[in-house]
Amino acid sequence: MQPQLIRALVALLGPKAVLSQAEDLMLYEYDGSVELGSPECIVFPGSTREVAEIVRLAKQYETPLVGRGAGTGLSGGAIARNGGIVISFSRMNRILEIDAANLRAVVQPGVVNLDLSRAVEHLGLYYAPDPSSQRSCTIGGNVSENSGGPHTLAYGVTSNHVTGMELVLPEGEIVRIGGKTIETPGYDLCGLLVGSEGTLALVTEITVRLTRKPEAVKTLLAVYDTLDDTTETVVDITVRAITPAACEMLDGFTLRAVEDYVHAGFPKDCAAVLLIEVEGLTEAVEAQAAAITEVCRQHNAREVRVARDDRERDLLWKGRKNAFGALGRLSPMYYVQDGVIPRTRLPETLRCIEEVSRKYDLQIGNIFHAGDGNLHPLILFDERDPEQFKRVTAAGLEIMRHCVAVGGALTGEHGVGMEKNELMPLMFTPEDIDLMRRVRAAFNPAGRLNPGKVLPLGKACGEIRVQPMPVSSTVPA
Amino acid sequence: MSRPAQACVTRLEEIVSGGNVLADPAELDLHQVDGLRPSAVVQPAEVPQVAEIMRFAAAEKLAVIPCGGCTKLRIGSPPARYDIALDLSRMNRVLAYDPRDLTLGVEPGVRIEDLLRVLGEQNQFLPLAVPFADRATVGGIVAANSSSPLRHFYGGVRDFCLGMEFVTGEGVISKGGGRVVKNVTGYDLHKLLIGSLGTLAVITRVNFRTFPLPPAQGTFIASFADAESAFGFCRGVAQSVLTPQILEVADPGAAHFLFSAAAPARITPQQWSVVITAAGHSALVDRYARELGHMASAAKAAEFMPLSDTEQSSVLAQIREFPRLVLEAAPDAAIFRIGVLPTAMPSLLEDLSEIAKHYHVGLAALTRASGIVYAAFFAEEGSETSSAATAGAAKEAFHICTLPENSAQAMLEWCPPEMKRMGTDLWGSRRDDFVLMQRVKNVFDPQNVLSAGRFTSGI
Repeated sequence: MQPQLIRALVALLGPKAVLSQAEDLMLYEYDGSVELGSPECIVFPGSTREVAEIVRLAKQYETPLVGRGAGTGLSGGAIARNGGIVISFSRMNRILEIDAANLRAVVQPGVVNLDLSRAVEHLGLYYAPDPSSQRSCTIGGNVSENSGGPHTLAYGVTSNHVTGMELVLPEGEIVRIGGKTIETPGYDLCGLLVGSEGTLALVTEITVRLTRKPEAVKTLLAVYDTLDDTTETVVDITVRAITPAACEMLDGFTLRAVEDYVHAGFPKDCAAVLLIEVEGLTEAVEAQAAAITEVCRQHNAREVRVARDDRERDLLWKGRKNAFGALGRLSPMYYVQDGVIPRTRLPETLRCIEEVSRKYDLQIGNIFHAGDGNLHPLILFDERDPEQFKRVTAAGLEIMRHCVAVGGALTGEHGVGMEKNELMPLMFTPEDIDLMRRVRAAFNPAGRLNPGKVLPLGKACGEIRVQPMPVSSTVPA
Repeated sequence: MSRPAQACVTRLEEIVSGGNVLADPAELDLHQVDGLRPSAVVQPAEVPQVAEIMRFAAAEKLAVIPCGGCTKLRIGSPPARYDIALDLSRMNRVLAYDPRDLTLGVEPGVRIEDLLRVLGEQNQFLPLAVPFADRATVGGIVAANSSSPLRHFYGGVRDFCLGMEFVTGEGVISKGGGRVVKNVTGYDLHKLLIGSLGTLAVITRVNFRTFPLPPAQGTFIASFADAESAFGFCRGVAQSVLTPQILEVADPGAAHFLFSAAAPARITPQQWSVVITAAGHSALVDRYARELGHMASAAKAAEFMPLSDTEQSSVLAQIREFPRLVLEAAPDAAIFRIGVLPTAMPSLLEDLSEIAKHYHVGLAALTRASGIVYAAFFAEEGSETSSAATAGAAKEAFHICTLPENSAQAMLEWCPPEMKRMGTDLWGSRRDDFVLMQRVKNVFDPQNVLSAGRFTSGI
């Protein structure tokens, strides 16, 4: 990077808000995925105006720009694939307004997800999207990736909770889209921006919906001796149109790792468990819990346990939300997938994953949002073994192909990033991708903002080259 | 028929087989938009035909307006040009319905009434209680982002639409989103189409998540002497643990339209009415009845009425059809759709009422507690109100929406063509994100052939 650019950034932000030493840069080379990329400089703006100034400098010096929250992303969204400047939003972490009467909060992008819920807890409110990383991930990052979480089954993903934003465009303009009201005239630009993975604009302020806490919550743990019984339960819950707030599945392998780590009280000798939560008015919660228990028993659950109090409930969730970390103790590295399938295809999909695990001789743990068909197979591996990593990539691809083939999607909440961008042709035709490329160019004409993400690059990577699927209209439904 | 119009018809007939291009004056009249008649109405049956029609239109710079049931062609600014009505009513199939997965994919021309019947057979539904229910099609409902009272509980179209397939202004077949209930793969291009009034692309398939029909439902009306107590009660309900499916406040003007024909004789139209619908198991509905009754009496309601099943279905149908009821009684009405925060609702309603008095026009306002006010200005029966008065009231309404205490986002959804010709603004002052909308439009429809000029800021 040109020294003049570093000097200009230091002049703008002060020496403490600019990092360019190799040892500092290393900390920003990675996120929660298996991807890597070295930035040339990290900046820490404190205001929208500073962000706009950084953007102008990047334009002047023709340098790539990548926004970054807490770096917990799982698809390489915040990694500087082509070098350049990483804009860390960690100093822009203020909650600007809490409007409880209108169920809105206005936040800066660096606000940590759980901090917002904590800030409004005394008002009986919370912020609904709850990614597992919610203790550290930021709302800005959530907006970029359109993050989900266990409770999105009932409450929707980030996109359903954002009504307005302030953007800094790659040419330096500051624009507000949407607002505090549920409707604003014109195109739904918030709908486009949420989940655009930082490739259209830098988000400097976000207006979100707050949600009222339910009157009653019940958390159930159903324990199974076979995976098929577990997945058939999920199908049956969906078919009977019971709508829990969350319905999570952990397989036996994962459970044992979690239990050794968290001591949440999960049985270590079972094939899988379902962690199901129902919320709402007391009467509805009782009725739903009874209906769910009945379905679990019909599918041979050997035990259906109800959390007796908040402590027990928190412990069960702690187990679920720390599951990735628990598996991390078993293996130097893991590769987490995020495919989605129609919920009725769960049993065959789990069997497919088992087969893939055998075929490639890889250990795969399954922890996922069963209720909305969002899978998280975790493939364990050692990155020092390149041959093994090849098998990991091939296994991942096979699972994703299966998801798309049964009518699903490549990613349910982790984003495409630089991990799955070459797989986009599995779901989208060249025409679809070209249209997305043109939409990106409408916001980000020079491609300086988060280059190499979401859309396939010109040439496909040899390892995971994919054949385009036929135009979707001709695919049998 | 002019020579270019004849050439257009001939080419369209080559694309869709004979009989599916209509050019007789009666059909053209049916498809007129704000006084402009197309040269032809074309009725494709397949996506490739739509694409070919659009490629032809883009090459010849012929202006196209997509339509289905033709119930909402009056919404939006007068088109700048209009050559072809692209009638999608033949594309009316349910393409994929997996009741076990609660997902659905339909063509745009399927009528919502027919679709709800299909879903009902599986004890499911879509929360689209939208006006013109007997004729409105899914494509039109999505393109106009029709407002449903059920949004209070279920969210709007953007919240339960999973993806779409569409044909751009250049005739390219494309898509956004997907078919599963959770998906973040690629840009959510389909969200841009919701409420775009056909200015970006022709919708050819919409995927939704469906919802289980609740086992029981109850509707209650609490009536109040003034707006303050009605909104106070409404706020109390909204801030309680209760989660009703519908929560609406009808001012006396709206109550007149909603309840005069259909309703319980016990409602006095001079009053402010709060309509609440609760759903779930019967024990739950009973609890709503009890708690709402207590809250209503604490809020000094003049009356609190649980409705009978017959009353309930007629009242909910009237609420669903509110803009239509107003337009049938007062075809020259100007009907606003205003996005507003709950705390600003009382002051906005008061300002709207002042405007109505000042201009001597009638006002009917139906407020959705989720954050939408439907406000109609109209000439009252027997009065000599001119359309200039309605236009004056409309202009003033835009102004009061911009006041800091209201900070509301207004769109004049329905108004007579004469008012539009007088230059009445339909969209309020230009927002600073207009430049981005213009860029999006240029990507989807660079020749500006789709619904040209009907959207905000001349898009």
